Amino acid sequence: MITPVAEVGYAEATWILIAKSIVIFLGVFLIVPVLTVVERKLIGRFQHRYGPNRVGPVGMMQPLADILKLVGKQVFRPDAAVPLLYAIGPALVIFSGITTIAILPFGDVKDGVGFYGIDVSIGVLYFFAFGSLAFYGLLLSGWSSGSKYSFLGAMRSAAQLISYEVSMGLALLGAVMMAGSLSLVSIVEAQGEIWYVVPQFVGFLIFMIAGFAETNRAPFDLPEADAELVQGYQTEYGGSRFASFLLAEYLEMFVVSGIAAAFFLGGWMGPGPGWLDPIWMVTKIMALIFVFIWIRATLPRLRYDQLMSLGWKVLLPLATLNILVTAVLVVVT
Amino acid sequence: MEEIAFFAGAIGALGGAIAVIALRNPFYSVLALIVHLISLAGLFLILYAEFIAAAQIVVYAGAVMVLYLFVTAYVGGVEESIWEPIPGQRFLAPLLAAALFIELSIAVVGTALKAVESTGPTIPADFGSPGSIGELLLERFLVVFEAASMLLLIAAVGAIVLAGRKRERETVPARGAGR
Repeated sequence: MITPVAEVGYAEATWILIAKSIVIFLGVFLIVPVLTVVERKLIGRFQHRYGPNRVGPVGMMQPLADILKLVGKQVFRPDAAVPLLYAIGPALVIFSGITTIAILPFGDVKDGVGFYGIDVSIGVLYFFAFGSLAFYGLLLSGWSSGSKYSFLGAMRSAAQLISYEVSMGLALLGAVMMAGSLSLVSIVEAQGEIWYVVPQFVGFLIFMIAGFAETNRAPFDLPEADAELVQGYQTEYGGSRFASFLLAEYLEMFVVSGIAAAFFLGGWMGPGPGWLDPIWMVTKIMALIFVFIWIRATLPRLRYDQLMSLGWKVLLPLATLNILVTAVLVVVT
Repeated sequence: MEEIAFFAGAIGALGGAIAVIALRNPFYSVLALIVHLISLAGLFLILYAEFIAAAQIVVYAGAVMVLYLFVTAYVGGVEESIWEPIPGQRFLAPLLAAALFIELSIAVVGTALKAVESTGPTIPADFGSPGSIGELLLERFLVVFEAASMLLLIAAVGAIVLAGRKRERETVPARGAGR
């Protein structure tokens, strides 16, 4: 057994850890195609059309066709691009998405196996540490493409991610203070009586809004605003590298929904026997992803100055006030 | 296992630090600095300081270096000036570096390198966890902690004041210009 370098909630044998890594890795390639087809179907319905319905039964095989098409395309690179960084960019984005899935808890310890990748004591800081690496993926790919659209998109994403990461962290702090732990497993267990979405409703709202901005989803999709910047930092990418940006976007959406479900919606908790726990967690995550898609189909994109003033002048003071009130209440009760 | 992790981290940290000063392009220097900081976080992990490691990545790699990269990406590619921007830097820099090296050497030799022979200190079970660090910051080092946060607050307010003043000055002649 490898000596753990960090404190974990429940130490497990090495082979279990390896098996879990493989499950997470395979799970990623199962989640994302489902999410893409769900999104296209739903957006279609929102816009009064059918959405994909040709490939396979009710269009469910559409992602397979998309992936085959994208992977089959020629790998190319613009003349002005910096070769190594151009290749590293998409890889970094995917790396950060997959590693953050590891801390999502789908259940507590059953038969000596924890239903999560790893339960680290630093918990949500792990999410922010690896999440911040995704940003370098965007900036490197935007900068190394050697194109003005890409560069502008990368610069926008830099400003946007910095602005909203602060509010995002502060929004979670209220729930952390109530549970008295950073570990996601302990936070879910602390919600036995009441889900934190009730006492921490403000925190939940701020986290979701900042989550939209962090994942570059509409109405905060300024880094890739197709109407003004073509596709932002991914303009110059094609084929499988373009596919990896797409994969990463859905992964991030899944992770943010997962963190929100664990922090505010009681994680794996729900009625029924213990083996239903992972299903409850997945149900909650899918419900939040539906909100993501719903908002994308409903709201127009913000203007850049609106985006900045919302982040700094509304969300940040609100999140700070939320922490202050929570801290007083936690001490008093 | 720990040896492999240590040497990987050490090589990353040293290589990154050397690359920062050796590379010509400032953008690549910043990237090398990021590699250096992430390697340092790995070294912190080996020392059972997982909170410091996470904070290192979130604060330095995640926030500070983002701004560095932002700035170098915007103004990068500028030719180095022909004259020395800081007079006497050529002589002062090696002198100060040598002084720092001697100071650090005294500190290292002062411990008589006793730790090399031993297996290392015994540490409490919750060493390096967020809880124990929080206790240290808010009990033993409370005054220092508050002083540091005051300093940061003053810096933040100062930055806002300076930026605000500059903008006022810029907008007034722009309106009067009337092209």
